[in-house]
Amino acid sequence: MRQIIFNEWKSITRDRTIFFVVVLFLLSLGFVTYSNILKNRVQIESHHVAHNHIRSQWDNMEPTNPHGAAHFGTFAFKPVSILSSIDEGINSVTGNVLQLEGHTQNELTYSEATQSLNISKFGKLKPSLLLQMVIPLFLIFISFNAVSKEKENERIRILLQQGISLKQLVLSKSLAYWVVGLLLLSFTILVQFIFSAQNLDRDILLRLILLFSAYSIYYFIIVSLSVYLSSRLNNQTGALAGMVSVWIIWTILIPKLTGNFAEKVYPLPSRIDFVNAMREDRSKGIDGHSPSNEREEELKKTILTKYEVDSLSQLPINFDGLVMQADEEYGNMVWDKHFGNNYNILLEQKKLQQLSGFLNPFSALQNLSMGSSGSDLYHHLAFLEDVETYRRGFIKELNDKHAYGGSKTGEWDWKADQEFFRSIADYSYISPSFDTIYQSYFFDFLWLWLWIGLVLGLIFFTKISDITI
Amino acid sequence: MISIQNVQKSFGGTKAINGLNLSVRPGQIYGLLGPNGAGKSTTISLLLGLLAPDSGKVELDGKEVLPNLKTLQKITGYIPENVSLYPYLTAKENLEYFCKLSGIIYSKIELKNILIKSGLEENAIERRMETYSKGMRQKVGIAIALAKKARIYLLDEPASGLDPTSSSQLTTLLKSLSAEGATILMVSHDLFRVGETCDQIGILKQGELIKDIKTEGLTSIELEKIYLDFMHNKTSES
Repeated sequence: MRQIIFNEWKSITRDRTIFFVVVLFLLSLGFVTYSNILKNRVQIESHHVAHNHIRSQWDNMEPTNPHGAAHFGTFAFKPVSILSSIDEGINSVTGNVLQLEGHTQNELTYSEATQSLNISKFGKLKPSLLLQMVIPLFLIFISFNAVSKEKENERIRILLQQGISLKQLVLSKSLAYWVVGLLLLSFTILVQFIFSAQNLDRDILLRLILLFSAYSIYYFIIVSLSVYLSSRLNNQTGALAGMVSVWIIWTILIPKLTGNFAEKVYPLPSRIDFVNAMREDRSKGIDGHSPSNEREEELKKTILTKYEVDSLSQLPINFDGLVMQADEEYGNMVWDKHFGNNYNILLEQKKLQQLSGFLNPFSALQNLSMGSSGSDLYHHLAFLEDVETYRRGFIKELNDKHAYGGSKTGEWDWKADQEFFRSIADYSYISPSFDTIYQSYFFDFLWLWLWIGLVLGLIFFTKISDITI
Repeated sequence: MISIQNVQKSFGGTKAINGLNLSVRPGQIYGLLGPNGAGKSTTISLLLGLLAPDSGKVELDGKEVLPNLKTLQKITGYIPENVSLYPYLTAKENLEYFCKLSGIIYSKIELKNILIKSGLEENAIERRMETYSKGMRQKVGIAIALAKKARIYLLDEPASGLDPTSSSQLTTLLKSLSAEGATILMVSHDLFRVGETCDQIGILKQGELIKDIKTEGLTSIELEKIYLDFMHNKTSES
């Protein structure tokens, strides 16, 4: 087998066209990876500068009414994962800045897709695009005739006569071309490794290993299937057409069909319906029960009873703060109901899409690639949940200050001092760890291994009598 | 020893081999003649273990081919009609590669000597095969078969593309191999070359051996006459 592998490598290195294409891919991958690392650094830095600026505004805030400060709010920046320079996943469409304020839960803004026509139309040139789409296609182009050319020129008769079996031939050639894919992949990972060395920790290393494993397995599936088809089909044209069809089905057709199917099975409400339902629930109460004026009236009664007074003016606290917090908490329930529903739908769609990896290893690869790069839906939702938890605490602190900070009901010009605003904790976020990701993508990894098993099974059960020589 | 006993082989509804019986003993060079589609290449494929017979027995060295393929491949040399080796390798590299696949390691000098023995010019040995003529490629194919030090040779139009001098050298080489005890089956259209090289000739028509002739004392013209008679007039005689 070693001899066959070395011979295939010789054929690649001595074929100038293939050799130059490999070099071209290496340069492209190196350039794209490096330029995305630089872009990531710029984005991380700009987030850092903007964050510091906003925090300094908050720290240096003149004495202000807490409710006014709640409207002034703050901003949370979705952290840029180091590995998103390899696979940006859903980040280019989700946006990365979130305004945190009272009364309302905003959505992420400033997505690159909304700001760039090119990106919205064609996507971005990321290493993942090359690694997922282009490199597999290249591997197909160099391997589709691995055995069929041996058959067409009858060299296979001499090869088999030397005592090697057909499965040895197919497996050796698969390994030989797989190494070409590994070379391109390793180079990308190496560039990432070298230029992110200062930020590497256990978590990033494990993610890199997962990323490398997923792509390695996928390349082996693609290459071995290509070489296998090359042994089974009678001519090179058939082998190429067969493998390009597989590529189209896996890369374009099934992902689109799965996406459409998931949207049909788990449909998201339209934006107008969603916004209207939120507004309705907030003003009229969830499901039409307990409208806001009734809720306020009830709260008033409870507080007056609690403080044993007859009117709001007799309260030692600022009732307005309590009303705002109660409204906020009610708003949180409405948010949890509607956004929670949306998130659940998105998660169900994602799970369905993950299941399709059973039929399509490309889906499994895409999921693992985004997951290990920290740019998938799970990371996205984890951030949104974390930032919403922070927002709730942040607004509660401001409302509590308004209610219990020393002002009376109706004193909207009462001001909290600078010290108070400084004491409010800044937002910081830690992405989910590798262990969480590994659990979320266990099945995707399993599908890839099952596909390896399937392809190896096909190769191991190939007999000379199955093919036309 | 090559032995084919009562072998039948069909592809779809077409009978390629129809009750073929053939025997080649050690030290003998047997030539199999026949028109296109007579079943010559199918016979070679059966002997190489690339095809399984529908019925009957195909044996090499007293062993049935398919169950003993691995063992038999070690003692069998094969030269196809079109030797298409790796164009990006030199003749020596090609020979070395195929030898290593068989588990045989030769020194550079030994490889060179085998190539020269098979009739290749010394100055061509280190050249990439993409520059080779068909005849030169054929000689490297012969070298690959020779390098195995086989006891049985299966040759499918081995002189195809060879110039008259090289064809004559091939005849000499095959005769020396048979003198050393090798069993040789040669399939060809070339009546003259078969007549010159083989001790015995079989004429194959529609998968049947219709004539078995000893070549001793037979001129090329006589051989051609016999062949044409059997192709045009006779249906079965052996």
